[in-house]
Amino acid sequence: MVRTMILSMMTVFWGQPLMAQEIRLEEKASVNQVYNKAVEAENALSLNDLDIESGYVLYQTEINTDAESEELELENVRDYAVVYVDGKVQGSLTDKSKKLAIKANPGKHLLQFYVENIGRITYGPEITDNSKGIFGTITLDGNDLQDWKMIPLTVRNYPLKDLVFEQRSVNDSPGFYKGHFEHNLSGNKYLNMTGWGMGEVWLNQKYLGSYWEEEKQQSILIPSEDLKPGKNELVIFELKNNQQKKISLSPTPVFK
Amino acid sequence: MGLFLQVALLKAQDAIDLSGTWGFQTDVMDFRRGSLSPRYNHLLQETIKLPGITDDYQIGYKNPYKYIDRLTRKYEYMGPAWYQRDIEIPAEWKGKKIFLYFERTHWLSSVFVDTKEVSSIDYVSVPHNHDLSSFVKPGKKHRMTICIDNRFQYNTHKWNHAHTEFTQINWNGILGEIKLLAIDPVYLEDLQVYPNIADQSIKVKLRVNNATKKQIKGKVSFVIEGTNYSLKDEVALVSTDSVTFVETTIPLGKHIKLWDEFNPNLYRINCQLNTSDGKNSYRHEKATTFGMREVKQGKNHVLLNNRPIHLRGNVENAVFPKTGHAPLDDASWERIMVLMKTYGMNHLRFHSWCPPAAAFRMADKHGIYFEVEMPMWGKDAEPDESRYNFFRREIKAILKEYGNHPSFVLYCNGNEITGNFDFIEELTAEGRKADPRHLYSGSTARTRVKSDQYYVSQQTNKGPVKVYEGLPGTDWDKNLESDVDVPVISHESGQRCIYPNFDEIKKYANSPVEARNFEVFSDLLQKNGMLDQAKDFFRASGALTVLEYKAVIEALLRSGKSAGFQLLSMNDFPGQGYAPVGIFDPFWDSKGLVTAEKFSEFCAPTVALLRYDKSSFFNTETFRGKAEVYNFSNSALENAKIKWWLTDTAGNVLKKGTLKRQTIANENVSPVGEFEISLKNISTQKVTVHLAVNDSIKNSWDIWVYPKHQHLMQSTANVLYTDVYDDVAKRQLAQGKTVVLYPSPDQVKGRKSLFHNHFWNPIMFAWAPMTIGNLVHHKQAMFNDFLTSYHTDWQWWDILNHAKVIEMQHAPQQLRPFIQVIDSYDNNQKLGIGFEAKLHGGKLLVLALDTKNDMDNRPATQQLLYSIDNYVKSEKFSPQVAVDETFIQSFLEK
Repeated sequence: MVRTMILSMMTVFWGQPLMAQEIRLEEKASVNQVYNKAVEAENALSLNDLDIESGYVLYQTEINTDAESEELELENVRDYAVVYVDGKVQGSLTDKSKKLAIKANPGKHLLQFYVENIGRITYGPEITDNSKGIFGTITLDGNDLQDWKMIPLTVRNYPLKDLVFEQRSVNDSPGFYKGHFEHNLSGNKYLNMTGWGMGEVWLNQKYLGSYWEEEKQQSILIPSEDLKPGKNELVIFELKNNQQKKISLSPTPVFK
Repeated sequence: MGLFLQVALLKAQDAIDLSGTWGFQTDVMDFRRGSLSPRYNHLLQETIKLPGITDDYQIGYKNPYKYIDRLTRKYEYMGPAWYQRDIEIPAEWKGKKIFLYFERTHWLSSVFVDTKEVSSIDYVSVPHNHDLSSFVKPGKKHRMTICIDNRFQYNTHKWNHAHTEFTQINWNGILGEIKLLAIDPVYLEDLQVYPNIADQSIKVKLRVNNATKKQIKGKVSFVIEGTNYSLKDEVALVSTDSVTFVETTIPLGKHIKLWDEFNPNLYRINCQLNTSDGKNSYRHEKATTFGMREVKQGKNHVLLNNRPIHLRGNVENAVFPKTGHAPLDDASWERIMVLMKTYGMNHLRFHSWCPPAAAFRMADKHGIYFEVEMPMWGKDAEPDESRYNFFRREIKAILKEYGNHPSFVLYCNGNEITGNFDFIEELTAEGRKADPRHLYSGSTARTRVKSDQYYVSQQTNKGPVKVYEGLPGTDWDKNLESDVDVPVISHESGQRCIYPNFDEIKKYANSPVEARNFEVFSDLLQKNGMLDQAKDFFRASGALTVLEYKAVIEALLRSGKSAGFQLLSMNDFPGQGYAPVGIFDPFWDSKGLVTAEKFSEFCAPTVALLRYDKSSFFNTETFRGKAEVYNFSNSALENAKIKWWLTDTAGNVLKKGTLKRQTIANENVSPVGEFEISLKNISTQKVTVHLAVNDSIKNSWDIWVYPKHQHLMQSTANVLYTDVYDDVAKRQLAQGKTVVLYPSPDQVKGRKSLFHNHFWNPIMFAWAPMTIGNLVHHKQAMFNDFLTSYHTDWQWWDILNHAKVIEMQHAPQQLRPFIQVIDSYDNNQKLGIGFEAKLHGGKLLVLALDTKNDMDNRPATQQLLYSIDNYVKSEKFSPQVAVDETFIQSFLEK
């Protein structure tokens, strides 16, 4: 039997009221504005071979399908790829999940992978192979896919003021989303990214941070000095495009 | 009769020291444990001395191999091993609780009393304390047989530093204190002290165990002592329970002093428990050291006693090749703590392991902040209930065993963990709930969890916070990237590889491990005809690492919104491919690359910092410096004098000035003023900008100043400059004349040229270009007009980033390039950017350097070309070694 003889003083915590402020993102800038010069090669080249340390690359090729559903299989996905066929999202791939059924009418289609490298491998059997991006064989129903075009994307350092935004329309492709909100000085500090896929965020043209739905951490701190009294501009680069139309501010960090 | 020794009785007759000779037997077949006859009391047939490990007695597999990726263990042993002692339990121990205590072992210890297995413990990070009370009889002699099994008891990552062959080896033995303890059956099982600095009090939590099954009455008397301090207090106790928790708050008065890195004031609390069940009286004492300090999570910093601290730390990986295990004695750890202090550090991160008590004691004494971890790494959080349960026990044990140490500031589960982060969150939240004396973090450099109170990482969701290398300009920091919801510590910064110092081979004569990989490397270097250069490779790459570390540390000090950094590392890491990244060798002996005095100019509680755009200038330009002071000391600098001055290579002061006198805040990085220096009339090429605060805080930066050169590389009748090796060049040579061949780098086969030496080591991270700096043959005449040391410094930035590395393995052995690139030590081929040779009766100088692009912004390249031009047009140009044309063709693109 166990007994506690002398009780310690009790501490009472008061919870903070949660008030979320919503921001609608109604404008979009197309991703092709941040394309760099394409590199063409028979096989997909790793980021290392493209001389890219980190960031986003679009890999694309033309496919010819015979059936309504064909299995796409990649040898290496480092670290995250969103798969598009003719501009429609088919799903996403990681190095732990490298197969995906491609659903399209038989015929010619444009297959695109938007790829992001999350970080270097620092341990484990792959440690000496620090290649990033997509490389090795890529097959569709067992047939090798060749003749790839690799287009590096400048995302994090792209001058946002040069992007051309338009009123948002229904469109699957990755892109930059823009919205505005009034800051009411109520001390909101965290951008709640819940529901968004993967990407990066800027506030008033200043880089704010990155997010990924697979992480437990789902919020990005907004330093109070970065919030302007009055109108603030938010830009989100979204790779996967979960069709989110709005986002909210939270007074506390958000974790899954 | 077994091994029976007259045991020495320690004080109060309550402990028997069991160090000394024990019976011993190996069991590589793992047969004995399940097969021990319950009737036959086996006698072990060999002996061993404890404390010790099997390696000390050359027990195990005599290793014939030369491991490349680590030091080679001379005698490997992994399996159960048996240790035995016949012990007479003193008759007066009747009625007492009896424990068999091993301070540290590895990792499962099982105790057999006579023929019966009675206790089994598998903690890694804390002592094993076996309760033998029910199994031994006072007055009787027992045969104690211990099985130590150093096999991996759970499917955990093999690299964690509690077990890894990469640093401390996966040893088998018993270390530290080994004793048999007898205590009264009403005793203090646990004593935890929780400082409250606002109230100047401590809360003492005791766990009293009562094995009498009777009601006990009595009191606990406390004596608290420190320097010029003594206090007594007591509380009454009445209980019929087997376990009673006692909590009491003891006010310590206004003379109690706080503990921190600057004033590591320590106190000792002794608790004496005196109880009686009406018939018998019981007495037990327990004591611990504590410091008055509180740790809290600040906005960007760890708060110690409500003040932000900044962690200047080293990653501690249990590198102890002298013994093969982490030391258990105070002196060995004190040496490391004193070194940390001397080199301006205040923090150690114990990467995937937790050190023994001596490390905490010495950190308490010297004011070093610890981050400790479990033996957890990589996929250890993937689902596996038995492994999870091991970690659930281990975290509790660490917090209980070391929780009182004021140096225990941060806890993290482990390194770079992957798997189920709900489990990581569970551990982290449990830790926070169990013991608020430390800050908690789920994992370094991986997924964040909700209970994180700080985060050690290469990157946050705002970008990279690690700094692996410097830049020739210093006007940058990691403030924006560090500003997230918790304090952020820069993870494993540094990691610049130095060529091994083969002189270290002889240091392993009496160690359980030896540097057989160094023998392989040096044999290869000898085969390639460069063994005489080994020391120069070591010195040149070492000097580069030192200047990288200065740049890395200063960048992290400019980052006032960072909670600190952990350098990997001050000492070499002898595994994972072998990473000689330290300014100390694996024995914590200085490599002679930088003095503590120089190092602490840029790594200390207060450091003068300077932001500037670049290191190389034309003499028509102006140097602009923005001065800052990093101050995380124990006070603001009141009315500080700040001055700058410029010296030439002879130490003459060329210019000087002062900045506005001002008070420099503590716990901040403060801009303190800007200054400009016209670089006109500077002729020594290298000058040094100095900055001093109050004469005591000094720092300096070398910059290079060159004249502008026009009409470089002009061919004359005798000297032909050409970027192609063609018939014109061949005819020129055939006439006994000079050719300077400067092929465009894209026309040269071979590796990319890089300013930095390789990250960590080229064996583990085998990525291009696999080079570790450059050796400059600086005394040769081609450098007469280009000031350089034997190693590359920041003026080489624009040269090396526009060059290509020529593979020279098949050049004549006597040929040594004047800009020599140092190859990975497991490859050791001859590499160069510039060399000279005789060819076809003429004189040839080859420079694989771009001389066309952006030349207006490359003052050092201009100066190097100028120096080479003077050289090739002088009498001094007289190449000695002849090459044939096939060699020249071998490195040129067709």
